[in-house]
Amino acid sequence: MKKRLGSVMLACSLAAVTMAGCSGSNSSGGGTTSAPTAADAGATTDATAAGDVKTLKWAIWDINSVFYYQPLVDEFERRNPDIKIEMVDLGSAGTSDYVTNLAIELSGGGTDFDLATMQSVPQYTTLVSKGVLAKLDDFVARDSWELAQYSGLTEQLTIDGALYELPFRSDFWMLYYNPDVFEKQGVAMPTNDMTWAEYDLLAREVADPTPGNEIYGTHYHTWRSCVQCPATLDGQHTVLDGNYDFYQPFYDMVVSQMEDGISRNYAELKTSSLHHSDAFAQGNTAMYYMGSWQIQGFINKIKTGEYTEIPNWRLAKLPHAPGVAAGDTIGTVTGISIVENSSKKDEAWEFVKFMAGPEGAGIIAGTGSFPAVMTDEVIAEIASMDGFPQDAQSKEAMKKGKLYLEMPISPYTTDIETILNEQHDAIMTGAETVESGIKAMNEQVSAILE
Amino acid sequence: MKNKALSKRMRNNLLSYSFILPNFLGFLIFTLGPILFAFILAFMEWDGNHAMKFVGFENFIALVSNQRFLAALRNTVVYSLATVPCTLVVALGLAILLNQNIRGRAFFRTVSFFPYVASLVAVAAVWNMLFSPSKSGPVNMILYSLGWEAKSLPAWAASRDWVMFTLVLFSVWKNMGYYMVIYLAGLQGINSELYEAASLDGAGRMQKFRYITWPQLKPTTFFVTVILTINCFKVFDVVYMLAGGSNGILNTSAIVLVSHIYEESFGKWRLGYGSAVAMVLFLIVLVVTLIQFKGEKNYANS
Repeated sequence: MKKRLGSVMLACSLAAVTMAGCSGSNSSGGGTTSAPTAADAGATTDATAAGDVKTLKWAIWDINSVFYYQPLVDEFERRNPDIKIEMVDLGSAGTSDYVTNLAIELSGGGTDFDLATMQSVPQYTTLVSKGVLAKLDDFVARDSWELAQYSGLTEQLTIDGALYELPFRSDFWMLYYNPDVFEKQGVAMPTNDMTWAEYDLLAREVADPTPGNEIYGTHYHTWRSCVQCPATLDGQHTVLDGNYDFYQPFYDMVVSQMEDGISRNYAELKTSSLHHSDAFAQGNTAMYYMGSWQIQGFINKIKTGEYTEIPNWRLAKLPHAPGVAAGDTIGTVTGISIVENSSKKDEAWEFVKFMAGPEGAGIIAGTGSFPAVMTDEVIAEIASMDGFPQDAQSKEAMKKGKLYLEMPISPYTTDIETILNEQHDAIMTGAETVESGIKAMNEQVSAILE
Repeated sequence: MKNKALSKRMRNNLLSYSFILPNFLGFLIFTLGPILFAFILAFMEWDGNHAMKFVGFENFIALVSNQRFLAALRNTVVYSLATVPCTLVVALGLAILLNQNIRGRAFFRTVSFFPYVASLVAVAAVWNMLFSPSKSGPVNMILYSLGWEAKSLPAWAASRDWVMFTLVLFSVWKNMGYYMVIYLAGLQGINSELYEAASLDGAGRMQKFRYITWPQLKPTTFFVTVILTINCFKVFDVVYMLAGGSNGILNTSAIVLVSHIYEESFGKWRLGYGSAVAMVLFLIVLVVTLIQFKGEKNYANS
């Protein structure tokens, strides 16, 4: 009798656990948006009745090294006393932690996040296709929010006719250089108007490959974007083309520079995981191109005494293709989105508007980062920062021309990226020639696009 | 009376179950449940948020034409085929050497065991430095001074031709200490009278090894082979650390099955496809284990 009771109890407890497991996966599987929203709404109504202050939960990365979060939150809360912002750090943007954690956090109906920061276009595209971000178009229309201030970025971010994020930061690629190296070598400094051929010549002229005493004319980080993105600045080709013959001149240039000791060896950089800014900061690198996000990094690390070899670093515009205006460059977008399952979308929209609008832009620029809304005041604000290069050319270099997204929107982004990464690695390690690598890109990407 | 006896037995049973229960619950929720769920997922299309869609064998059909899957499968098999025998030989050799009465035996045992204890991430970073692909990398410097031509010095983990060799070398070095300890235990379990008898019969060192040590160690070898093979098939961390570079992107010379599962499941959010790859991995490990268990019966009987 008791034995049976025991087994029944065991069976029941097991069944209960199994059911609990099932219901968990069910809700995350077929979880519709309405059910959890309704539940959340009920909960918040109670809370509102009690305290009349709504708290928005905001997903961010690197809370300790991104300086504009706190001032943004402080100013927003001052203006909106009935809304509180709770920041939750989901991991570093330098690794894939933030992207993976946010995707897991937002999957299924159970999230309590209201706002999410979008680190990159691929992350944004993935989350939109997962259906976890809210459409902003109705809000934009309701408040007649001015999209023109994003100089075309929001058009490039529209997916199937709908917009799911507002850009609040937009960085673009620039040329960083170390005037001390050019002076020592007796070579003219880079200018704001150089073609890629002129840049190549300059790198070769200033370099000194003598072993043990190397001066690198230029530097390429291991990302594929460092070689491939400049090729898309001619305004005729994009990374979604399916035919990548237009990469060839750039690979030819970079590979031969590497072979001649003008730039560091890719394979060594790859295994040593040397950060691009550390490479430049060694003081034996004449120039290199990187996103404007690095400006703040140099300023801070020189201030703290970590970088001692590049006290006079300066900026120039990215080199350009012949026949294209100087200043056209590669851009990245960092945006802010509302979570589809949030029950406080109206409040969240207030924060989105604040952060991605002119007020937020001023605060972001005040910490040395480049807001998406770029006005002359914003440029002046950044250039007046302590530690920013003081020569006229560096200030002029901040005036960007046309902006091309590093990775445009496409449902095939991740697949294409995998192929291009693989072939980039093969070409740069010498496992394949430039021709055979590009041929492989053409074949494999066309197979996906078909 | 009878009732009382029964209830006592029942009480004992319940007591035993209650001891197992916490562990079993953990296993059920975190291991068994997900495994069964993965079986179902392998036949679904799911991104973790939208409703699941049944797609039959489509995920498995997609496998066969995916170049990265085929590369991962090939690399995993090659890695296992190379790592298992090499680790066995090195571990057994070390165990035999360190089972003798030599000076500093404890010290050398510790030294050999150390790589296994050290954090993988830390030692992988050190290896990447030692095996730097540049000419000035410490290992390459030694090779160069030994007369290796400067132009053809290996680029180790950064080279498509050498990456697998580097991975195997690292794994053998990292794990040899652990399997050495298991072999040492096996060696010490051999009755020394067997050796004495053999000596009386005039057997040499090689003959002793061949006719006594090796057969006596067969159960140990079997155990080591099974564990090693399974560990090799689920390798991920070593490959990620040595060949992943700064962004963790693996090319087709280095990618292994678990990396492929990860990139598809959590990079592209194709959880169904990822589960299908996991099923393939599961089947391979299952078959290997079954074959080895069959082999064990022969060992045990001989």
